[in-house]
Amino acid sequence: MPDVQSTVVEFVNKLRKRKIEGSQATAKCTVELLRSVISHQRVPHANQAAALIDAVKAVGEQLVAANPVELAVGNVVRRVLHIIREEDLSLTTAAMGGLDLLDASDDDDVDNCKGIGYPAMSAAVVAAAARSTLRPPSLQTLLEGTPESATVPYTSSSGADSESKTADKSSLTRKLKHDVIEGVNQLIHEIAGCHEQIAEQAIEHIHQNEVILTLGSSRTVLEFMCAAKEKKRSFRVFVAEGAPRYQGHLLAKELVARGLQTTVITDSAVFAMISRVNMVIIGAHAVMANGGVIGPVGVNMAALAAQKHAVPFVVLAGSHKLCPLYPHNPEVLLNELRSPSELLDFGEFSDCLDFGAGSGSIQVVNPTFDYVPPNLVSLFITDTGGHNPSYMYRLIADYYSADDLVM
Amino acid sequence: MWRRSPSFILDERRSSNSPPMADTTRGPFQNSDSISAYYQTRAAHHGVITSDWLAQAQAAVGGVSGEEQSLSSDNQLGTEKSFNVIEEFNNWRKQPDLAEAVAAIRALAAVIRASEASTMMELEIELKKASDTLKSWDKTSISLTAGCDLFIRYVTRTSALEYEDFNSAKSRLLERAEKFGEISCKARRIIAMLSQDFIFDGCTILVHGLSRVVLEILKTAAQNNKLFRVLCTEGRPDGTGVLLSSELSKLDIPVKLLLDSAVAYSMDEVDMVFFGADGVVESGGIINMMGTYQIALVAHSMNKPVYVAAESYKFARLYPLDQKDMAPALRPIEFGVKIPTKVEVERSARDYTPPQYLTLLFTDLGVLSPSVVSDELIQLYL
Repeated sequence: MPDVQSTVVEFVNKLRKRKIEGSQATAKCTVELLRSVISHQRVPHANQAAALIDAVKAVGEQLVAANPVELAVGNVVRRVLHIIREEDLSLTTAAMGGLDLLDASDDDDVDNCKGIGYPAMSAAVVAAAARSTLRPPSLQTLLEGTPESATVPYTSSSGADSESKTADKSSLTRKLKHDVIEGVNQLIHEIAGCHEQIAEQAIEHIHQNEVILTLGSSRTVLEFMCAAKEKKRSFRVFVAEGAPRYQGHLLAKELVARGLQTTVITDSAVFAMISRVNMVIIGAHAVMANGGVIGPVGVNMAALAAQKHAVPFVVLAGSHKLCPLYPHNPEVLLNELRSPSELLDFGEFSDCLDFGAGSGSIQVVNPTFDYVPPNLVSLFITDTGGHNPSYMYRLIADYYSADDLVM
Repeated sequence: MWRRSPSFILDERRSSNSPPMADTTRGPFQNSDSISAYYQTRAAHHGVITSDWLAQAQAAVGGVSGEEQSLSSDNQLGTEKSFNVIEEFNNWRKQPDLAEAVAAIRALAAVIRASEASTMMELEIELKKASDTLKSWDKTSISLTAGCDLFIRYVTRTSALEYEDFNSAKSRLLERAEKFGEISCKARRIIAMLSQDFIFDGCTILVHGLSRVVLEILKTAAQNNKLFRVLCTEGRPDGTGVLLSSELSKLDIPVKLLLDSAVAYSMDEVDMVFFGADGVVESGGIINMMGTYQIALVAHSMNKPVYVAAESYKFARLYPLDQKDMAPALRPIEFGVKIPTKVEVERSARDYTPPQYLTLLFTDLGVLSPSVVSDELIQLYL
């Protein structure tokens, strides 16, 4: 237990000092950390899911507070919580199924069960009610009350025939943790494999003799284009350099190394070149619940240019980048201002930057991210396929539970 | 009623030539010329006194309840039970704080209580009949239709699960129906909570119409010590602007009243627009008080976000293709001076705002974009 604590603290520090770059790396490290937290967590016999959820939430809150701008951390924590709830639910329904069989065979047990205090409701009702706690609130469940049934299966199972149940109970304990760890391993696998999944779809979107515009550098975009190149599609790429970090230069070098004809342009030339471009493809930092995109600074400009000239604007995002939150004021709240030294050389401008001087001073703003509203995006390509921006809420409903939105 | 052809003069002549059908078998609110009962009730809530209302009140006091007679002589509307339903519904509807759907569900709960059915199937049939009666009595109220449908759907689903005995099922249904009033209030609070993040300090909010949900949102924001100001439209002919501004000034929120025509003029100082909804349709658009579409158009052209606050039981299975595609809901409009009889007055009480002009919907199911609405409806009615 103590060494898990120390790993948590270490990771929190790394996040706070921004030592980990890139949402995929952050997501992977976070999931691995949560996996060790879960495996080291000691769970009581009753309500083990709740204990696991509390433990994960406690760690998750610390991680999110350390780097609130890196949304992948929060996403992954919520994914893990959803996995715990799902596994718990499937175990419950399996247990209910077992209870049903017992009821049919033994009349005394039936009376006992009913007597314990759960009113005359069949197992089907209980299971249905439990299932509804997992789904987000919907019109269907509007009139149903808050089902307290989620915890009932444990008490009724402990009340009934105790001898045969104790063996089942302890195996139940181990089973939940085991299932959760399995689910988390699957999540890690998914995060690691998102690039290949997305790149597989490249061939459907990039056609022969096309001109593609991209901005900054994204590993997903690189793999996407290389996959198309592998399938013998020949096309040209315009790379906007992505000042002030000039990561576009790195991307251009990589693309040329793989044999693609590349042109580097400045960010300001995007509007000038957009009419000669067939498609804009960018990688996202995060995708919000309304379909809006947080990307490297400059993508909003590319999106507006693309809209003006009716050029499809395609966003690539792995599923760990899908965030269930709505962006309220994304330019401010979900943005990070980096050091002005990337823009101005302190030595040259030292006299202007001196605030005490009186007459004027230069302010330097160096935001990291840009927000693209959903109406400017044509298509999202995730590891599950291509989607409309208005479909994002569906994926979010699949991946996350409503209870975990506020941590 | 499709006045689309250029030969509207011919259509006019044709419609005036056909003899007006002396329909004693239909209720007083069934012909196309009629006043929408839903909007009458809203006006009554807002304390708007029109000459029509006065006439009705006088007639009621006079002891001649023509309504009762026509209903009781009516075969189609039938038995005593349905008579009770509509009366019950009207009683509940008159309370200003109660949502329309809650009144409908309470009326249906009264049907369950008064029912002598002994099986779930019988009860279901009775409820279906009562709900059809209610719906046909006032075709213009969307919450009423949606509330009835929701309750019937719920009853069908719970009766599909095996219950040991009928009485416990019946009591459970009654309990749930009673609780619906609480659910409605809870829904308003959830919506108010969800929308808090969207109201930031120093913002200017434009509000149209007097929606109890929007009022709850603004109240909660004021309680959370947010600094914002509200522009409210006058809301002719209901005068909702004056009522809303008096409510808001009680909460010390700076309010400014606008003429309905001054919306575009003031739109560039507005940060966001809030509407309630009488109904949310399948496309994700909303049906709301007349003027909503206009304001949404202006807001959209100036890139201002338009937020709609509506409880989830207002989702209805309608898909209007244009403004005239719904059952007409007319209401009397007073101009203060006598209008010559040859002059027509556009008396529709509501309009339809298509989903592309709406940014987000705040419902008790969460913050939704307009495209999610049809998904929710499909899930419910599949």
